[in-house]
Amino acid sequence: MGPGLYVHLPWCVRKCRYCDFHSHAWRDQDLTRTVDALLCEAERRAGGMRPKTVFVGGGTPTLLPAPELRRLLDGLDAVTSFRASAVEVTCEANPESFDDVRAEALRAGGVDRISLGVQSLDDATLARWDRVHDADAARAAFRRAREHGFVRVNVDLIFGWPGHDAEAWRTELEEVLGWEPEHVSCYELMVEPDTALGRAARRGRFAPADDRHRRRLFDLTREVCAAHGFGGYEVSAFARAGEACAHNLNYWRSGEWVGLGVGATSRSELELRTNLTDPAAWTEAALATGDPVGEVERPDPRTRLFDRFLMGLRLPEEGVDLARARDATGLDPERVFGDAWRTLLDDGRLERAAPDRIRVGEEGLRHLDTVLLELLPDETRVHEV
Amino acid sequence: MTKTFPPERIRNFCIIAHIDHGKSTLADRFLELTGAVEPRRAQEQMLDSMDLERERGITIKAAGVSLTAEVDGEEYLLNLIDTPGHVDFAYEVEKSLQACEGALLLIDAAQGIQAQTVANAHLALDHDLTVIPVFNKVDLPHARPEEIAEELENTLLLERERALRCSAKTGEGVREVLEAVVREIPPPQGDPDAPLRALVFDARYDEFRGVILYLRVVEGTLRKGDQVRLLGVGATYETLELGKSTPEPTPVERLSAGEVGYFVSNIKTLEDVRVGDTLALAKGAEVEPLPGYRDPQPMVWCGLYPVNPGDFEDLRAALNALKLNDSSLVFEPETSDALGFGFRCGFLGLLHMEIVQERLERESDLDIVQTAPSVPYEILFSDGTTRIIHRPGDLPDPNFFEEIREPVVRAHVLVPTESIGAIMKLCSERRGRFLRQEHLSSHRVMLTWDLPLAEVIYDFYDKLKSATRGYGTMNFEEPRFEAADLVKLRILVGGKEADALSCICHRDAAQRRGRAVLKKLKKEIPRHQFEVALQAAVGGKIVARENIRALGKNVTAKCYGGDITRKRKLLAKQKEGKKRMKSIGNVEVPQKAFLAVLSTEE
Repeated sequence: MGPGLYVHLPWCVRKCRYCDFHSHAWRDQDLTRTVDALLCEAERRAGGMRPKTVFVGGGTPTLLPAPELRRLLDGLDAVTSFRASAVEVTCEANPESFDDVRAEALRAGGVDRISLGVQSLDDATLARWDRVHDADAARAAFRRAREHGFVRVNVDLIFGWPGHDAEAWRTELEEVLGWEPEHVSCYELMVEPDTALGRAARRGRFAPADDRHRRRLFDLTREVCAAHGFGGYEVSAFARAGEACAHNLNYWRSGEWVGLGVGATSRSELELRTNLTDPAAWTEAALATGDPVGEVERPDPRTRLFDRFLMGLRLPEEGVDLARARDATGLDPERVFGDAWRTLLDDGRLERAAPDRIRVGEEGLRHLDTVLLELLPDETRVHEV
Repeated sequence: MTKTFPPERIRNFCIIAHIDHGKSTLADRFLELTGAVEPRRAQEQMLDSMDLERERGITIKAAGVSLTAEVDGEEYLLNLIDTPGHVDFAYEVEKSLQACEGALLLIDAAQGIQAQTVANAHLALDHDLTVIPVFNKVDLPHARPEEIAEELENTLLLERERALRCSAKTGEGVREVLEAVVREIPPPQGDPDAPLRALVFDARYDEFRGVILYLRVVEGTLRKGDQVRLLGVGATYETLELGKSTPEPTPVERLSAGEVGYFVSNIKTLEDVRVGDTLALAKGAEVEPLPGYRDPQPMVWCGLYPVNPGDFEDLRAALNALKLNDSSLVFEPETSDALGFGFRCGFLGLLHMEIVQERLERESDLDIVQTAPSVPYEILFSDGTTRIIHRPGDLPDPNFFEEIREPVVRAHVLVPTESIGAIMKLCSERRGRFLRQEHLSSHRVMLTWDLPLAEVIYDFYDKLKSATRGYGTMNFEEPRFEAADLVKLRILVGGKEADALSCICHRDAAQRRGRAVLKKLKKEIPRHQFEVALQAAVGGKIVARENIRALGKNVTAKCYGGDITRKRKLLAKQKEGKKRMKSIGNVEVPQKAFLAVLSTEE
């Protein structure tokens, strides 16, 4: 997979209670300026790039008015020639702002895949988590995507809300699968510390669902998706044959990519660099120099090896390519991971997908964090530059 | 004040009082009244010198003060010997009493007689002291002297007519109390020309002068420069300085029979001396030691561990510093599987333990983890020998000993009559043996129980206070060892024994105790990918069990390009946390779980 290009738009109508992305409620910030800044950064950092995949995410990219969306895509293409090079160009869209004008602008701008933030089909749940759309808006948005000729559509869903009943989840999931999207992402609700939800949990106002129940929902998800012909190629990602998200696969295969925008991360084999996370600071720096870098990390080979497992083991079919890992890091995983490696293979949490390919087993997938904890080298040295 | 007084002009007395009944205030009034201290200059409560004592209202260390007062036209030397005021220190109270001919029994006229007052008054009467009852705080609107007089007659058989009334706060009646000391308390006996015998009734460590002994000369005369011997510890010293506290230390040339004063030599540490010892001349006639000398044994043990393992040496230094002026503190290094390197510390009792812990915090600035207190046990072997142990791990196999004995205290509990039921229930739950019930007045009663010390050291006092809405008080006599059906309660985690969590307890309590321990472990041990069995066992028999069910799933839902560093750091942090856990078999047990079991009880 060639290099990917990620473009981040930080603004949302408002911040959802569970969200810990680099997103911010939009309060009349100058969106034109945001696009200007993105294009400045693109010129400096992605000029002549010819990416294989593009992903415009957020935040809510569809918060941009249609002309700005179009200006962004045209500008990006002028700098990177993505329309000629890319095999997949995804844009995230939220039901409330994915209108005909914007759909048209995206289509004309070169986007060929829409990722729709539906999250739930239960209106009460949507309202409780501060989503700004209802279920009907989501249904309409999906139809709109098709009407505008998007033949590849992903639907994002969340399961495991407090009180989320297994049958209710099955009904929601089956309805969405009945729309016949090409891809669904089913995320278990995670309580992250720096979110409204995390704060509520700390104050005891919210108790995450019992882990046995969450496991039941996880198992149910894989089962229902499989029955509808959607393969679970990643922990939370399900696709019809040939419809896996190429841009995301590049992350999980530890490829290289350039990230533009507030807090976006870029990766080359030796370096992880993250942009400034404050929107105002990022805008200033992007406009001034085109290089709004925040932190640069140069992980040592052991850490890079671990990162390949951290990402690659999320792919339960394909797993981690050991030959590529050896080439990239100069280290032999079997030797580096030692006893933990052998134990995990012995108890089946890890298995060989091919002579030079390691993946998690069915049980290992459900305990991936524990597996990773056992593989983690004792001292992870991080070189900050 | 260096003038000498013949024995008939000397009075040695102490004040027996419950905490906060006004002992220190009364002592201050005496000092002012006799001109030893100017009222305005007087630091509040001169006698208590340590900050901690003043704050807690507890006198930790006894001291003597010499005053002169004119009564009936004659000048008298009054030696006020301070008594420590808590149950832990019964032995020290006894030593103070032994130095006196009389005692003021000071009772708060509003609160009435407390258990400890009764115990100490009994102790004074047993030592043939003249006891003068004094009702303090009579100026308070809710003072009830008549009722208290009735209690006095019922409990101590002291005639109400003899009771004096005063207010140490306002000074009302204080002069009369001082006069009563002179008129009612007999002067000391003892021949100043007999061979020297002096009682060491207290000892203190002074940074500049080393150990200072407080003496009551019983017979003979001690002069500056005399070579003396401590009969109990068998060490010889030169008398470098003798003096009286007025309350400032005032050197004198000699101390004769009946007198009280301090003694300075080059004694390096308090470990070299014992309160209760007899001081005699190094040369000359052999003399019998004074009665009642004992080496106090630690009756409460606990582990003290630095929170930060690097502080181990600092903790040792801090304990050594405390030991300089607290010889009854004992400690030895100990390694705990769960808590690392620390010290096993022995205390006279619970209050002593609390005071040491507070002083450590105050004086050393260390973060310390304290394990739950435990008591020593005496093991009787088949060959008739005995051994004291204070760690569950030291308990031999039951096949190798005849009997195991635990310390039992006689407790006098003074409560309002309406609380009798609750207290009887509490004491019997704690394996107590009821002895008797005495009515002090129409609404107060004293219950006497024998209680295993192990059952008292946890939260007995709190339970007593809540059952009596704060009115109950309690006093213990010295513990003695009694045979009991005690067993070692073993705790198994995932089938493997966790030594650090085992304890000695009564066979009947093993199941309840085991359940409580397992419940805490269940709460603190994180779930594993497999089910973890928790068991409590006595010998090979499982008395309680719990299961920690397996973790259903543990996988992060979202991980894209921007999440790598954060996710890796999060895992590294978890790994760090795991490193601090102790593995028992294949189960990871966090320190918190050990602490939950070790540091508090039920």
